[in-house]
Amino acid sequence: MPLRADEITIKYGAMTALDGLSIEVRPGEITSLIGPNGSGKSTALHALAGLARCTRGTVSLDTKPIETWRRRDLAKRLSFLPQNPTSPENMSVEQLVRQGRFAHLGLFQSFSRKDLAVVDWALEQTGLVALSDRDLANLSGGERQRAWIAAALAQEAEILLLDEPTSFLDIGHQVEVLELLDRLSTERGIAVVLAIHDLNHAMAVADNVILLSKGKLIFEGRSQALANTSYLQTTFEVHGNFEATASGEPYFRVPLASTPT
Amino acid sequence: MTSSTNSATRATPTRGILALTLLAVGLILIAVLLGVVDIPTTEVIAALAGNGSEQSDLIILTIRLPRILTGILAGIHFAVAGTLLQSITRNPLADPTIIGISQGATLAVTVFLFFAVYRFNSDANALYTLPVSWLPLVGCVGGLMSGLVIYSLAIAKRMAALQLTLCGIAIGAFLHAIAMGIVVGWGSSRFEIVMQWLSGSLYARGWEHVLFLLPFTVAGLAVLPTLYRPVLMLRFDEDVARSFGLSYRLYFSLTLGVASILAASAVGAVGPLIFVGLVVPHLARFVAGRHFALVIPFAALIGAALVTGADLAGRLVGGPEEIPIGVVTAFAGAPFLLFLLRRYR
Repeated sequence: MPLRADEITIKYGAMTALDGLSIEVRPGEITSLIGPNGSGKSTALHALAGLARCTRGTVSLDTKPIETWRRRDLAKRLSFLPQNPTSPENMSVEQLVRQGRFAHLGLFQSFSRKDLAVVDWALEQTGLVALSDRDLANLSGGERQRAWIAAALAQEAEILLLDEPTSFLDIGHQVEVLELLDRLSTERGIAVVLAIHDLNHAMAVADNVILLSKGKLIFEGRSQALANTSYLQTTFEVHGNFEATASGEPYFRVPLASTPT
Repeated sequence: MTSSTNSATRATPTRGILALTLLAVGLILIAVLLGVVDIPTTEVIAALAGNGSEQSDLIILTIRLPRILTGILAGIHFAVAGTLLQSITRNPLADPTIIGISQGATLAVTVFLFFAVYRFNSDANALYTLPVSWLPLVGCVGGLMSGLVIYSLAIAKRMAALQLTLCGIAIGAFLHAIAMGIVVGWGSSRFEIVMQWLSGSLYARGWEHVLFLLPFTVAGLAVLPTLYRPVLMLRFDEDVARSFGLSYRLYFSLTLGVASILAASAVGAVGPLIFVGLVVPHLARFVAGRHFALVIPFAALIGAALVTGADLAGRLVGGPEEIPIGVVTAFAGAPFLLFLLRRYR
């Protein structure tokens, strides 16, 4: 198993952001991290990306603790896209996507034919070819989000960690991104872990759903198994129920005016 | 499949490079030719060729030329340091004051003169000859020391770029206050020398200043190409840069170190010409646009041109009573900065 977290606890001062969480990231599998705001999804992703210091427990890639990896070597294996990254001034879409090749280049080496081909591929996959010369500042929120996803793809990493990659996107682009992730995992065997707020999208795309609440693991397993529990109702404190769909995937429906009073 | 690499992104702005180079070279030539003492152009050329009269030799080779060269080098130092600092702190208002370089240098120079004056108390004139030649080194060491203190604090407290900036400003203000306290408490007319140094000046800068700065310039500019890609990466949030594969702390420290050394040595040699480090990076980025690789070379060119031009203006307008260069750069630079600020809207 390439990437795993073993019983990690992360504390910020007195606040416990994660409490004894274990995650195994498997090739070709999509893992959805769900949970209410502040449940630790983002912290878990940061920990997996080697960007958060664990108070207890370890995160390891190829059994080697993640903090002992050189960032350059790590970037070739693992790519992480935080929520709402700041876009540098005066930078075009293509220039941003090219930064994804940083780990593959020497300090003086210029872009090889292969690097440029990967950049083109990433732009194509995210539907940005026509926008490649546009300044990041002049994009809509959704276009900018896709540009960042393209930059993450250009890293050609086998593990993709995404913090709410579909926020700011309209429904059409949300589905596009999720289909892209699905394709990457089945065709290229890429392991994907994403934090996501839309529960139905989370369940539809995931091979493995992880439900967190207050930093603790509430549930881990397939969407169908989650549908047989009432964890979603209790964790999110809503009245809702699962409905059967034609595709056989569970659909969690929450009518308005359904928060318990 | 057609490549999506767009020609507009890659084409080098030849005109911009040409115009800036011409501007810098032109200003330097004019600066050599014009001065308080009128010397005919033929005499200047003769002096440069090594067969001028004794008087023109003295003025051109011992006074004007080293002064201009010192200005060029200092201009490059401030401009490049400012560009690096603005990139890595992601703060458009960053300049060598935000890591306490100029304040540390000011304090060191003040304290140095304070003790020098005590030691040579018996002869007030000794003051003007002896300590002055030590000022570049003292200022440089002082600047580097305060830079180091602020940097160590930032590392120990695991500060982000913005906190580093605030910490630098606070400590800088503290050091500056001590320096000013000493100056005021001293209350001596001898401290004209501190005030003159503080306003930033090329007055009486000679070959020793050129030789003092040159090693730093060469070393700094030699390291810069290895920092080009990392500095681009440092414009991203720390998490993003690290995920892209940058050893963030290593390159942040390296870049900060290069900027500090360039700024501190220049502050030592000519005093805090801070405005150059603030305004030139904006001009350079404005001219370079998306050609990130050209921002630092442009900054170096513009910095050299700005300091040379400002010194020339100060010499010509003020006559023998020169207007300090810091005053001229602030006068000329402020409207420019205001103009550029419009594009941040």
